[in-house]
Amino acid sequence: MIWLTLRQFRIQSLIGAAAIAATAIYLAVLGTTIRTVYDRNVTDCTSACDEGAARQLIADQFGLTLMLLGGFLIAVPALIGAFWGAPMITRELETGTHRLVWNQSVTRRRWLTIKLAVGGGASVITVGALSLMLTWAAHPYDTFVDDRFTPLTFAARNLAPLGYAALAFVVGLTVGLLTRRTLAAMAITLVALIAFQVLMANMVRPNMFEPETDTVTVAEAREAGRIDMLGFGPDGGTVQGYTVPGAWVLTDAAEVVDGEGNTISHEQLSACESDGTTMPDECLTSMGAQFTIEYQPGDRYWTFQWIELGLALALTAILIGVAFWKIPRGLN
Amino acid sequence: MNPPILHTKALTKRYGHHTALTDVTLTLPTGSIVGLVGPNGAGKSTLLALTSGLIRPTSGTIEVLGSPPAADAAQLARVGFVAQDTPVYAALTVDEHLRMGRRLNPHWDARLAADRIRQIGLDPTKKAGRLSGGQKAQLALTIAAAKRPELLIFDEPVAALDPLARRAFLQNLMEFVADLDVSVILSSHLLSDVERVCDHLIVLAESRVQIAGDTETLIAGHHRLVGPRGDLPDLPAGVEVISADHTERQTTLIVRNTGPDTPRALRETPNLDLEDMVLTYLHRAGRITGETTTPVEATR
Repeated sequence: MIWLTLRQFRIQSLIGAAAIAATAIYLAVLGTTIRTVYDRNVTDCTSACDEGAARQLIADQFGLTLMLLGGFLIAVPALIGAFWGAPMITRELETGTHRLVWNQSVTRRRWLTIKLAVGGGASVITVGALSLMLTWAAHPYDTFVDDRFTPLTFAARNLAPLGYAALAFVVGLTVGLLTRRTLAAMAITLVALIAFQVLMANMVRPNMFEPETDTVTVAEAREAGRIDMLGFGPDGGTVQGYTVPGAWVLTDAAEVVDGEGNTISHEQLSACESDGTTMPDECLTSMGAQFTIEYQPGDRYWTFQWIELGLALALTAILIGVAFWKIPRGLN
Repeated sequence: MNPPILHTKALTKRYGHHTALTDVTLTLPTGSIVGLVGPNGAGKSTLLALTSGLIRPTSGTIEVLGSPPAADAAQLARVGFVAQDTPVYAALTVDEHLRMGRRLNPHWDARLAADRIRQIGLDPTKKAGRLSGGQKAQLALTIAAAKRPELLIFDEPVAALDPLARRAFLQNLMEFVADLDVSVILSSHLLSDVERVCDHLIVLAESRVQIAGDTETLIAGHHRLVGPRGDLPDLPAGVEVISADHTERQTTLIVRNTGPDTPRALRETPNLDLEDMVLTYLHRAGRITGETTTPVEATR
């Protein structure tokens, strides 16, 4: 049975191996380049070193590439679900060959077990290899720029992709078993896996644990260079894109208040600046301007990774249960 | 005493509102070559799919060789099934199909498989997708036979073949079935496919078994009585009228004697041949359900 399943899976596994090989070459080059740039600007830097500037440089140079690679690594499980998982059983049903193989001396449960083991194993190995290589290539970037919780980074490094791979394959296979039609199963699988990623990133992951809160003065934040944008409007000021090293800041826009916690109005700020010599930041400092953010601390990263893996595997197990429930009922 | 190859009680299969098989109660003795005939859509494939365990009954019970169909690997090994359209893996070669058979079946007869492939003249390196319909049927038959089952089931194995290939296939099938010492159930919508080779017959129409039994007994039990219109003898007990045809001058009765001896009244009357008998039952099935069954397919 293992021989037959492997034989039927030959083309797919060749495509998978080719994809891994091509990606490996590309990531080897990319990883080396990132290390070279990092060493030149950080490790081997001897004079006039500016870590903030170096971080900006590396983020600008590799940020987009790594983001796209993250997107690719999230897309791979979806593709695996649609192109490996969905046809695994529907192709047999559509060509009628299930009537041949189900009448050999092998129970349908065993037949399904082998299909799940071979296909699921290949999916996890493929995505695991890609994740490992990308995690390696991006390692200097990830530790230096320290933005590991961004959805396209979090879901494309370390353990999380393994769970997606197993889930994606089993979604494809089980949906195929229920719909019995390849195209429908592929479409449903793609939609389901996209929905899963969106839900995880936006609804589940941020609310997994009670976030920590922290109040920061504008002066400190400016000093550390961690404010993306500070704007004032008629309703007061907001800080946007504030980052905490290694942590996941959940607050998109934080209201700026003075030392007593009162809203700083546009008029107050204008009055302070009206002498023409005081800079806005000095005014804010003199007012004790501060803001409060909610965030998930960086040391929770691995807990999040394990939970992400565990959730995906739990869903996988449920779907495997559905498949095993359905298979003896077969064509009824 | 071996358990019957097929034993069903009130076997019924429904798909939603459509009833594919109604109340089938059958016992087929071991060693039989059983022909299952009936028009398309009569429920033949449903009955065979239930027998092979591909589907489960809605109600009623079914036992194959004394066990529930497809219950476990051992039971699967005892039954060989060649499905309609004789499916094979298009991307696998003939040789790979034999390899699959060897790996998936504990009693695989590699010699029989190799001999048959040679005898049929199949190229072992050829992909099954490139074989003709007849060759595919032969390959599927070889896989089912080399499994060395106790019961071989064929669902319309010759439906896709031209008349010449059909005859050759059946001839070949029967030759090697005789060598294997195996029970067989063979379905067809053509009586001519099965009547030469079967010693048992099941006529299925409108989802019900119309008649079933040993062919010789069936022939011996059916008589045609012809007399002047309305003037027919009283029928003895145990004789059932299957059909009555009236023309202006005479009445023709087809009767079935279910008793052990032929009553005197029927001794001088001719027996029906198998084809007329099957047609009579198909006509009756069509009348009872109020639908017009065209029994053309039951003719040759």
